[in-house]
Amino acid sequence: MKTIYKKKILGIVLLFFLGFGIVTARLGYVMIVQADKYLTLAKELHQREREIKAPRGNIYDRNGVKIASNKAVYSISVIYSQMTDKKKVVDILSQELEIDKEEIEKKVYKNSVREKIKSNVEKNAADKIRKYKLDGVKVDEDYKRVYPYDSLASKVLGFTGGDNQGIVGLEVAYDKYLKGKSGRILTLTDGKGIEIEGAYEERDEPVAGNDLYTSLDVNLQNYITQACMKVKKEKKAKQVSMILLNPQNGEIYAMANVPEYNLNEPFRLSKKKSQAGSKKQQEFLNQKWRNTCLNDTYEPGSVFKIVTATAGLELNKVKVNDHFNCPGFRIVEDRKIRCHKTTGHGSETFKEGVMNSCNPVFMEVGARVGVDGMYNTFKKLGLFEKTGIDLPGEAGSIMHKKKNVKAVELATMSFGQSIQITPLQLLRAASAAVNGGNLITPHFGVKTVSSDGKKEKIFEYPVKKNVIRKETSETMRDLLEAVVSEGSGRNCRIEGFSIGGKTATSEKLPRGTGKYISSFLGFSKAQNPTVMGIVLIDEPVGTYYGGTIAAPVMKNVFQIALPYLGISKDYTVDKKSE
Amino acid sequence: MANRIKEKYMPKKKYLDYPMLFLVIFLIFFGMVMIFSTSSYKSTVNFGHPYHWVLRQGISVIIGAFFMIGLSKLDYRWFNNKIIAIGGYGVSILLLIAVLIVGAAKKGAVRWISIGGFQFQPSEVAKIFLVILLAYLLSLNAHKMQHFMDAVKILGWSIPVIALVAYQNLSTALVMCAIAGVMIFVVSPKTKELIAVAVSMVGVLVLYLTFSNSYRNERVAIWKHPETHEKGLQTMQALYAIGSGGIFGKGLGQSMQKMGFIPESHNDMIFSIICEELGLFGAVCLILVFIALIWRMLLIAMNAEDLFGALLAIGFMTHIGIQVFINIAVVTNTIPPTGIPLPFISYGGTSILVVMAEMGIVLSVSRRIRM
Repeated sequence: MKTIYKKKILGIVLLFFLGFGIVTARLGYVMIVQADKYLTLAKELHQREREIKAPRGNIYDRNGVKIASNKAVYSISVIYSQMTDKKKVVDILSQELEIDKEEIEKKVYKNSVREKIKSNVEKNAADKIRKYKLDGVKVDEDYKRVYPYDSLASKVLGFTGGDNQGIVGLEVAYDKYLKGKSGRILTLTDGKGIEIEGAYEERDEPVAGNDLYTSLDVNLQNYITQACMKVKKEKKAKQVSMILLNPQNGEIYAMANVPEYNLNEPFRLSKKKSQAGSKKQQEFLNQKWRNTCLNDTYEPGSVFKIVTATAGLELNKVKVNDHFNCPGFRIVEDRKIRCHKTTGHGSETFKEGVMNSCNPVFMEVGARVGVDGMYNTFKKLGLFEKTGIDLPGEAGSIMHKKKNVKAVELATMSFGQSIQITPLQLLRAASAAVNGGNLITPHFGVKTVSSDGKKEKIFEYPVKKNVIRKETSETMRDLLEAVVSEGSGRNCRIEGFSIGGKTATSEKLPRGTGKYISSFLGFSKAQNPTVMGIVLIDEPVGTYYGGTIAAPVMKNVFQIALPYLGISKDYTVDKKSE
Repeated sequence: MANRIKEKYMPKKKYLDYPMLFLVIFLIFFGMVMIFSTSSYKSTVNFGHPYHWVLRQGISVIIGAFFMIGLSKLDYRWFNNKIIAIGGYGVSILLLIAVLIVGAAKKGAVRWISIGGFQFQPSEVAKIFLVILLAYLLSLNAHKMQHFMDAVKILGWSIPVIALVAYQNLSTALVMCAIAGVMIFVVSPKTKELIAVAVSMVGVLVLYLTFSNSYRNERVAIWKHPETHEKGLQTMQALYAIGSGGIFGKGLGQSMQKMGFIPESHNDMIFSIICEELGLFGAVCLILVFIALIWRMLLIAMNAEDLFGALLAIGFMTHIGIQVFINIAVVTNTIPPTGIPLPFISYGGTSILVVMAEMGIVLSVSRRIRM
């Protein structure tokens, strides 16, 4: 072979080697510099993490009645690479799931590993789809939250979202106990997404959520809800709220806000509302889910006189038999503030003033106590703080700044105007006033129990002991008992039972629109209260006096609730009052 | 060099290039191992046992071994006559036309015809006969080749077969162009002109790929953005495999990507699985084996008894070299994707048969080297 040929062929071979060098350099780049990147991507491709959902814990009432539980539902998804007849998949799924073909087509023809078509599919439909044995269509078991009592205590319980997470109410407050821990299976799959048998597999078992036992009582809840619905209808009111709790330990028996909503369809809006924009719709929903008992404040009106009276007695500024005179108004600085009875109550003792709910008496007491004394008592009765209830979104009170409180503000405050608190705050303060002076924490959660029943966590709630003196509390009980037995709360009197209480009629802001909140707070037994309730009728039409329309509602409830809760008739008190 | 060897050793000693033989045997066995590794899972899924593809390849290798041994014992000069060279070339053209007719009958592009149950790819066989033809023509006319046109005339001979192949498979045609180009380039004295022609042809090809709107342009798009292009999946899968191999790989048989992620894992894409299982180390070793093989063939070409033998070795060497380069470059996404098997390793009966036959002929050339 000629030398020139040899040179040329050597050149060609060196050119090859140069080419090999280039691809080797490229290999080095991919396999060293980009190795991590591709290794991660490849792992994502090969590993299939299958979530094993944990069943959410049940919620029970105080008697062990299930008020929230789970039901098996199915989620339908498609695996792109395993589908053999995509058209058939689209046809059958759209037929069985009643979804538009177009919507399903989008997901079926999307080149991704797995697409979820629909979750929360009922067992019937899921079984049907299973029977078709379609390649690449997966039917996975899932859980759906169900509320057997539909709307009962809806604003207390709340509901869960698509991932079984709590959204509002107890469901969100106790989410960490209820939700459990989902397990997972990590497997390797081949190119068609079929799991490789015998390949390395990791498995974490799911841990079921803990069951929550609450202080709610389904029967009482049912009953107060019906009572609220009845009065709402009668008085064409906007809303009626009611709370029933144990003033000794803060356990809430029932809490209703009528209208309630169906927990199994929490996102449903009326036709008219569902046509609004999405932002507006969300507002409607938030409004619908709102728990007025603690998410909103109002002017408590005369029920607040419990606080003023407590302040006066606690600071020894007034005695039960002190004499007052009510001409139907009181001049405070340059203003004439009227009593609800414009002709005046005339001469009366403090006790009679409480029974008459006489504004001038309380303005006088408020003035005697002074701003410091009032604010100190507010603080002791927990009116500057949230109650600490185990529900989300509690509102705080709205009070004048102490330095801005002059005689007029002090006077209006004394009978529950120009301040705003939540009904629950009022109930808590009243509890302390009559239970011997202990500031309790209202609550629902009693304990959680693990799904196997082995682990139990009992919740404890703070109680501030002796925020007021026992004697003050005792006097308060007497006074409030008198309100029901002989005073403005007569409409809540039940033969044989000793009941204490206080009425209120608050004019809503802005004044002069004729909108009122009528309310009544009552408790029993008068001398040893173990149940206390408050009822608020928002914007009643027609008669709006709390004593006339709210007190009978409480009477209705107590007629059933007191025997139900094992509170015995109290003949001695009955005789005394006769 | 040959003279020195001749002086040092006694003349007329029987020679066979054992290093080359060893490299070839190593590559064939390595290929079998890798085909088993890459195809066993898919074979089990599809046929219930892991041996489907490795058995078929094994049969091809055994037949190939007969060809290789036979051709290495047959004096290569037997091919150096008009009847064999031109006749063989004519037969390969007829086979290619037959494929076209079969394809037309089946209403689709077909690259193989069936003989006795075995599928067989005429375009692969055509490579051997093209090399023999060109070696024959070039060695015959070497002394007469003065002008550029002489080179073009010889090239003209190869155009029918390249055109027929190009009709079915452009990348194989490109490989054949390269083989013909290299062989003519070595013999023709018009070095500069031929380099200019080669460079301008590459330029035209690049321009064509860049500006044409055909489906090949799509391949450029895949090459540039494999991660976003809808048809870039295979390229990305190959890169996943290569990248996840790292320096020493996952170990033989441990590839995940062969589990149906790479569609042609035992075929054109086998190199990516080699990278995944044996790592950069294994891949570089394989490339070094190919370099060694090419080097041995270069030495045989340089020391061949006559120009015909040298040109045979050069043609077959170019065949191996260009395919190795294109295959690895495609798998690593260095160039736009095209389907070229990796010689000795990729699954494919005709391919391994043809390559083994070529190696037999080169070994036969090595036998005539005078010591």
